[in-house]
Amino acid sequence: MKQTRRYKSGLIASLNPLNFNVERWSYAIHRATGVILVGYLMAHIFETFQLGAGPAAWANTMSALHSLGPLEMVGLWIVAGSALYHGANGIRLILNEMFGKLMGKPILPVYPYSPTSLGRNQRVAVWTITALVLALWVWAGFYLMAGLGVV
Amino acid sequence: MVVTYISAMLLVFVLTFHLLLQSPLTGKAFEDTLSFGYATGNLVYYKLVFGLLLLTAVVHGLNGIRVLAIEWFHPMRGRWVLNLVIVALMAFFLAIGSFTLLVVS
Repeated sequence: MKQTRRYKSGLIASLNPLNFNVERWSYAIHRATGVILVGYLMAHIFETFQLGAGPAAWANTMSALHSLGPLEMVGLWIVAGSALYHGANGIRLILNEMFGKLMGKPILPVYPYSPTSLGRNQRVAVWTITALVLALWVWAGFYLMAGLGVV
Repeated sequence: MVVTYISAMLLVFVLTFHLLLQSPLTGKAFEDTLSFGYATGNLVYYKLVFGLLLLTAVVHGLNGIRVLAIEWFHPMRGRWVLNLVIVALMAFFLAIGSFTLLVVS
């Protein structure tokens, strides 16, 4: 009964993150990390452009970035986490969408439309990716923060 | 979608390579991997890899923004304007990145 009320609540309920299943969460995080990475890519292209202007210009760029203090490494840590998640989840999506792997067999849509794509293989893939990315992200954090003397 | 998938598969390899060059596996502290000598040395030595990285990252990233814009705003009439802006941005960032690669090497 409660589930039926939730399904009938329409668009508003579909935008409530508490109603997301694990596949929808991974979709949302994939999009958010993609936007973060494009922002960083643009800044990174401008940053490395300074390499062409010589060592003095590069040193100036680096000192400007270092003047941000811990924010610089925290920003890089967020970018590293975004790259790790976007890459690992992207491989899962390529397996799903391009090769049809990890997906359940298609069935007729019957109300209340439980997603067949969220079978055991898919759940294992999503949670394996999450665990792997979290472990690598923590490792990247130690590596980046070591330069600040935090670790 | 073909552009997205092909660029994504290439990116997995070239970006992993780029990140490994900045990682502790090089035996350097992160600060040392940001030095002028190390950064330019890598760009010169692995010019083709960084060229491929630039191409795939710009195409995949900006095409992703185009797809997001279409998903969110469903532009019925102005899609050609969106495509034009994205292609112009791709050309702009590819030009800057290619210029850097050419000048450094």
